Amino acid sequence: MLSLAIEKRLDGFVLDAAWEAGDEVVALFGHSGAGKSLTLQCLAGLVRPDAGRIVVDGAVLFDHARGIHVRPQARRLGYVFQGYALFPHLTVEANVGFGLAGKARGARRARTAEVIARLGLTGLERRYPRELSGGQQQRVALGRALAADPAMLLLDEPLSALDAPLRRQLRDELADVIREWRVPTVLVTHDLAEAFQLADRIVVYEEGRVVQAAPKSEILSRPASERVARLFGVRNILRGRVVDASAGAIRLAWQGHVLTAANSPSQPFLPPRGAEVAFFVRPEYVRLVRKDRPAPEAQNRLTGRIVGEVDMGTSWVLRMAVDGGTGRTSGPDLEVEVPTMVYEMLGLARDRTWQLTIQPAAIQVLPSG
Amino acid sequence: MDLFPLRLSLAVSVAATALTLAVGLPLAWLLARRRFPGRDLLEAAVVLPLVLPPTVLGYYLLTLVGARGPIGRALGAVGIDLAFTPKAAVLAASVASIALLVKAAQAGFASVDTRLEQAARTLGRSEWQVFWSVTLPLAWRSVLAGAVLAFCRAFGDFGITLMVAGSIPGVTQTVPLAIYDRVQANRMDEANALSLLAVGVVALLLVGLGRLARLRF
Repeated sequence: MLSLAIEKRLDGFVLDAAWEAGDEVVALFGHSGAGKSLTLQCLAGLVRPDAGRIVVDGAVLFDHARGIHVRPQARRLGYVFQGYALFPHLTVEANVGFGLAGKARGARRARTAEVIARLGLTGLERRYPRELSGGQQQRVALGRALAADPAMLLLDEPLSALDAPLRRQLRDELADVIREWRVPTVLVTHDLAEAFQLADRIVVYEEGRVVQAAPKSEILSRPASERVARLFGVRNILRGRVVDASAGAIRLAWQGHVLTAANSPSQPFLPPRGAEVAFFVRPEYVRLVRKDRPAPEAQNRLTGRIVGEVDMGTSWVLRMAVDGGTGRTSGPDLEVEVPTMVYEMLGLARDRTWQLTIQPAAIQVLPSG
Repeated sequence: MDLFPLRLSLAVSVAATALTLAVGLPLAWLLARRRFPGRDLLEAAVVLPLVLPPTVLGYYLLTLVGARGPIGRALGAVGIDLAFTPKAAVLAASVASIALLVKAAQAGFASVDTRLEQAARTLGRSEWQVFWSVTLPLAWRSVLAGAVLAFCRAFGDFGITLMVAGSIPGVTQTVPLAIYDRVQANRMDEANALSLLAVGVVALLLVGLGRLARLRF
């Protein structure tokens, strides 16, 4: 269990972050310079916040009001630095055993050997970091951090310095180690794929603030704001006016149409009538209505014309102009993604004008912010 | 030929280098790793002995440790004479050479990636242990290079030593002073031999040790 609420003022930057996590993998996600790494350094005790409180498993590591600041040496947190920061003058064995200095020699040796074996580093004990591959270096860094059995593992941009193919491989390895060792983890990353593959929960940072903290399944389906949605690369972020809103649905006026979006019955969002709101439409959920069958009864029916398209390999992204009361013709209004099989079956390369339907659940209204 | 000046110079340089390391390493670490008020002043003060005339340094040192100086009197009270003894020669050589050690060691410490020290801290090591297990092992080449330069500078000191230790034959007359003394007395053969010895010692250290440990000066 981790509960963190801190403030730190630096030259021209203010970090003001608060979030909680259970015994799980948390990704701190955001652009570089958003305060993610600084949060990690505060958590590890390498930087002292100006205010706030940090509690890990019931132990108060920092409490400004009570003047508590536990030294990094006494926090029992395994920190893996960006670029790993292995000791270049020490062997693999000495690196892994570095945090066990307080233990008896026999116990130290046994634990070091155990960690080395578990991470598949056997046979490399006498090697120096510069003699290791990137993957081996990562495992040594993880072993060094895990050997002393830390309460949490802290990973600062572990993969950001690598090129793409190696990065994918080490991401998989990292995922395996985190799952196998079952250690609560905080991971700093600006890579979406990394956050989604490794984390259970995602804390979104922007300019020193937390803009959303939620389980990862929730964060894509219900971004807390338009800014979060843009940060996660959500497409089809559109603007419309509220016709009416209830716990069941929000109706929106957009391009002369009225679209019905599903609302969350448990946490309904009820913007006032006439308010301008942002919403997004999932491109892969927009359906093209087949012309050889009777038209289905459906909400959110539009007519669109394909004005551009991109072959993504296994799917096509269609840029469509939607006919609307505004008479607007410039540029596409909606991105629609269809599997390549559908693209070929319907003959989209030739036939460019289609009826579209969108399920209310595929339209998500974004709280402003 | 009397080899006393050579033996004295070697002993004084060894002692001065040891003293320089004891005082200079903490100083170098402070300058490389800590921000504190007066840091710039301290950094300037460290370099001062390199640029001030040796006689000026010697003069101030003498006013401190001479029989009537504050330090000299305190030491005299407990029965220790400093001025015009071999100990004064060690002090003079240390003052002359400490800047070389501090600058080299400071650069060496500063070049150690601070994340390595941070890593050691998160792994439970105290500041003292971090220095001995990470910082110094990674900066030892710079420290050794600084120590070699400091030794050579200590070996060659003339002005400061003359001011505070004098040039007493058989007591405080180091090689550089002995050479001057022989030239004054027109004993050129001895001056020549001592000069060659001095060149030999310095060359041996700089080239020999420098090569062996791949030092950069």
